[in-house]
Amino acid sequence: MRETRLWSLHILVIPIILVLLGAHFALMHYAPIFYALSVEKAREFSTMIARGKNIGQFVVYILLLAAGLYHGLYGTRGILRELPWSPALAKLIDLGILIFGIAIFALGVYVTWWTFNFELGG
Amino acid sequence: MTNNKPAVDNRRLGLRGWVYAGKYTFERYLYLGHRLSGLGLIAYMVLHILETANRMRGEQAWAELMAVFASPPFKVIEYLLFAAAVFHAMNGIRLMLVELGFFLGKPQEPVYPYKSSVLKHRPLTYLVMILAGLLMALGGSSLFFP
Repeated sequence: MRETRLWSLHILVIPIILVLLGAHFALMHYAPIFYALSVEKAREFSTMIARGKNIGQFVVYILLLAAGLYHGLYGTRGILRELPWSPALAKLIDLGILIFGIAIFALGVYVTWWTFNFELGG
Repeated sequence: MTNNKPAVDNRRLGLRGWVYAGKYTFERYLYLGHRLSGLGLIAYMVLHILETANRMRGEQAWAELMAVFASPPFKVIEYLLFAAAVFHAMNGIRLMLVELGFFLGKPQEPVYPYKSSVLKHRPLTYLVMILAGLLMALGGSSLFFP
């Protein structure tokens, strides 16, 4: 049952990733097409900070971070778990991926929070 | 004495099982591509989080990093990343539809010669791959010829 829940979540986050990653690509990599903004301008420090201070962007980044990391790390775990590990090693892999995921998610949230609170010229 | 042992024990292929296509041909290579693109994307995502943390070192450090990413080799890498994301997403949509039972036809009596579910949904496979190709071409043209 636990595995079914984990797999279902892996599938359920896909629409979130499709929409938010699509928007992220449009904004950061295809800004000239979708926003009439040069890629250089879209990636400037001041533009990036201004974007990060928007509450909508803040929520979107956290959601994308959580959904993307969960989907990707669960997929990686699935690939690794296909190999014939001993049960103890398999648990160790699960634990390692979980700790890694939490650490990288925490860093992402911290950077997003830092940007949200940053004062330009301050 | 009869040897009933299968020629290839699928449980013991190990790493070879990730790339050994057997008779599944096209879909098996999509499966391999899905894994490789997925691993590439999660590796990139982790690097991307670390790289964007660089903003905390200040405007100068950020500008220097962005100048590196504006160079031609990074443009190519950026495109490969985009292509991997498009492929993974389109193939993932196919997998999700098939896993939910779409495009497989109605259940039938298993009468020989059997028609595999892989063959039943192959038109969908071709369709999503054509769409993926179009999106990749579109993304490439706008990235390299803005």
